[in-house]
Amino acid sequence: MAYNKDLETREVQATWDVTTYQYKLDGRGAKVLADGMKEKTIRGIKCPQCGRVYVPGPTYCRVCYIDIDDVVDCSDEGVVMSYCIEMADVRGNPMDEHRVSAMIKFDGADTWFIGTVHGIDPMDVKIGMKVKAIWKDVTEGNLGDIQRFEPV
Amino acid sequence: MQRKVAVVAQKQINSADVGMPRERMLYELVKSLYEEVGISRDDIDTFVLCSNDFNAGHTISNVFEDCPVGAYMKDETKVEADGVWAATYALARILSGLYETALVVGNSQGGSVMRPYLMMDYQLAPVYDRQLGLLNELSAAGLQAHAFLAKKGLTPDTLDEIAARNLADAAKNPDAFNGKAGASAADVAATDMLYEPLRKGHCYPFTDGACALLIASEEKAKKLTDRPAWIRGVGDSIDTYYPERDVVDVKSVKLAGERAAAMAGIGLKDLDLVELSAKFAHQEPILLEGLGLPADGGAASVSPSGGAFGAYAFNAAGLVRIAECFKQLTGSAGDTQVEGAGYALAHGQDGLCMQHNAVMIMSSEEG
Ligand SMILES: [Zn+2]
Repeated sequence: MAYNKDLETREVQATWDVTTYQYKLDGRGAKVLADGMKEKTIRGIKCPQCGRVYVPGPTYCRVCYIDIDDVVDCSDEGVVMSYCIEMADVRGNPMDEHRVSAMIKFDGADTWFIGTVHGIDPMDVKIGMKVKAIWKDVTEGNLGDIQRFEPV
Repeated sequence: MQRKVAVVAQKQINSADVGMPRERMLYELVKSLYEEVGISRDDIDTFVLCSNDFNAGHTISNVFEDCPVGAYMKDETKVEADGVWAATYALARILSGLYETALVVGNSQGGSVMRPYLMMDYQLAPVYDRQLGLLNELSAAGLQAHAFLAKKGLTPDTLDEIAARNLADAAKNPDAFNGKAGASAADVAATDMLYEPLRKGHCYPFTDGACALLIASEEKAKKLTDRPAWIRGVGDSIDTYYPERDVVDVKSVKLAGERAAAMAGIGLKDLDLVELSAKFAHQEPILLEGLGLPADGGAASVSPSGGAFGAYAFNAAGLVRIAECFKQLTGSAGDTQVEGAGYALAHGQDGLCMQHNAVMIMSSEEG
């Protein structure tokens, strides 16, 4: 007997909300970065073998496979490595206000940092342009201390 | 088999709370294996990772596992099942002739990061079992336990005795964390009742854990160690979802065992020990019967490491069973050593009431 989709198929709704995860994170690199942000400074950890500077810093170099712990200061200015203009949300609903989210490489760092670029027409943003972090007046030592990025 | 393949080294971490992120746990585990064998990540031809998106709490669970095991820019692949399947996959890769060495690494943090029982809810059929909300991993195991006791005319005392023996053995195994020296049936019978007849003492412990195995072709294995353990056969079989089968007569473990024994060219009665992934006490005699062995194992020691009672980190667990066989076959099992161990079988399972079973038979002699 052929399967009759109209007669045989029903719809049942089910959710998939597994559980709450109590993650652990490497405290060292997170603390180095957060403490630096309180002082309006970007701090990472440098690998003495390959010279890579990670922000935030891991406890080992992912490339060289050695333990690392050399704290270094980076600039709070950097370069836009790439960007995109958010014109819709992830479900495809159009957004009234367009926003530029960009991957920024701080001068002195080798990893990218996500942020939003303001103070410029979104259509004028370019890869390679210099931007600087705009800090909150009173920093608290967390990722929210950088309010946004603006062109230098 | 077309080539001879051996396990060359093993490392394990098992804990109720390992106290560090998965990435760091894996880095410390695998780095210590490289140092012990005297190799670097350059010596690994292929990496086979074994983890699960639910356990990790994010999809593509291996994305943060590659670098800490040294797989940066290397050949890597992942298995999302118990570790015995991952080791079987590594074996197949070496048998292909394309690789000489494989590092297999399984992990999860069911001790401190999430509760494994909750994760298992999402193995239930979404349109029937999950809608009703009556079943979970523990109640399914409880149903299986009652069916087993009734069929054999046994009382829960049997479960207490099985758990006590495993817990006492685990206390002698430095790689297990949940042992209890000299554990008695009365000790187990005094633990909290969860889903009758199952008490807490009858169940696998929530575990943060990882296990790494270095597997190599004959030529490479002999260069890396003078005491390898040889992989002689593997077998795997999957049954239907739990309500459509006899949960006491587990045919899939029988078929998996027979397939592995045929490949190894031995009989299952020739085994000197079996390392079983019995997550609940009643599953041990069910597995033994499936393998055609008597309830006390007969000539085979049953999970001398303490089995799944000593530690059971999902994904790592089957690799731990293989690692314990490796320790036995290379005479490095310490206080749990089975004298003259020549043939050993490692077992892993997946699914409710042991839907899917896989085994690996290993030997001390090359064969
Ligand atoms: Zn480096």
